[in-house]
Amino acid sequence: MTLSYLPRLFCLVMACFFLVYLVASGIVSLLAPLAIRIAKRLTPRLAARFLLALRLLPFTLSAGMALGLCVPSYLRFEPELFDEPVGLACLALAMLGLGICGAAVLRTIRAGARSAMFARQCRRSGHEMAAPGPFLPTFVVGGPAPFLALTGIVRPHVVISESILEALSGEELSVVLRHEYAHRTSRDNLKRLCIFLAPGILPLFGGRRALERAWNTFAEYAADEEAVAGDARRALALASALVRVARFGSMRDAAPVATPFLGEVSELAARVDRLLTGTRSSACAGRVSWSTVVAVAMLAGCAALVIFQPETLRLVHSLTERLID
Amino acid sequence: MGHLELTVMETLWEQGQGNVHDVVRWLGRPLAYNTVMTTLDRLYKKGLLNRSKQERAYFYAPRLSRLEWQRKQASNLVTGLLSGSGDTSELLVSCLVDAVGQYDAGLLDELEQRILMKRREIEQEKQQ
Repeated sequence: MTLSYLPRLFCLVMACFFLVYLVASGIVSLLAPLAIRIAKRLTPRLAARFLLALRLLPFTLSAGMALGLCVPSYLRFEPELFDEPVGLACLALAMLGLGICGAAVLRTIRAGARSAMFARQCRRSGHEMAAPGPFLPTFVVGGPAPFLALTGIVRPHVVISESILEALSGEELSVVLRHEYAHRTSRDNLKRLCIFLAPGILPLFGGRRALERAWNTFAEYAADEEAVAGDARRALALASALVRVARFGSMRDAAPVATPFLGEVSELAARVDRLLTGTRSSACAGRVSWSTVVAVAMLAGCAALVIFQPETLRLVHSLTERLID
Repeated sequence: MGHLELTVMETLWEQGQGNVHDVVRWLGRPLAYNTVMTTLDRLYKKGLLNRSKQERAYFYAPRLSRLEWQRKQASNLVTGLLSGSGDTSELLVSCLVDAVGQYDAGLLDELEQRILMKRREIEQEKQQ
């Protein structure tokens, strides 16, 4: 098929996106068990960041390569004068890339809309309570269903059912809200939504799901540590609240983007155990140090210098020419 | 999903993948080849099965695992009901109390015991 300048660019970008996404997804899936082992040696917050970065790597890398390398090299070296034929393989890859992008965007919008609707529904049917501890909008919903979660994406708020509210003591409620506040400050619901942007395309590889589960676990550990902040009494109160809420049963997946207090069912005993054996204070673990920022900025600068070298772009262009043919 | 469709899905979840002949054999019921073929085709069009052509025959495999499908169904149901009127969602929330997953009571008792012991430990340390 013969295409003009811009449609050819679009085709190339999509094909490149798909190829990189496929390869990166495979590598990430294979490396997932090793990454989870490494994460266990880090602080929970750092481990959660590392695992999330790895989970989103196929999407960010493929989008970065397609937009940061393919587009500049094409604009710089491709003559604009002629229409050129595009091979069937390139067209097929472009269609697959477009399919992945379309599916990712659609499912993200769908999950976001459903979650926003659920949060709105909870706000409407419940009433706001004056919560102790850090400022966090908290809505109490009627009915006996055991519900305690952070819902909403842009302005997250806690939704708690009357039954759970009655069961928790003042101290427990306070530390539970600190826990949810920690999820809010680390924008865990937004991160959950971002995960929808990177769909799995290799059904036989289970690494993607393992990474998501591990991220979820470490995000809970981190929120526990931040809520407790090294205070043994708070740790006890949080452990007690976990068991108390678990007695009501677990109600999960009410909305695609929500952080339930109990998290992974299988992790309950481990979380209580961590709290009882003494969690480390992570007051500094959540902050990014200046040295990290400078190192990342320098790395990005070096990468940009290499990428925008004419030789690099020429090499990329010659490779993409092969892809088009 | 109809009864036969569900049976076919159950069979494919157990066996993995197969062509129409395989599914007829696995079902172990006197069903016409065309009936099973139509059912498989309908499931494929509903997006529940993947289909690949191998040596002039279509091979069908479930697109989602049984657990994934059940979760999707439950999630769709809950979200659909929760997005209804206030009465509907309250009714649903009330009904859900019976349907929530239950934790092992023994494990919870054991955890509670440990919390109690730890609390006593801390109180004793304070008194000393």
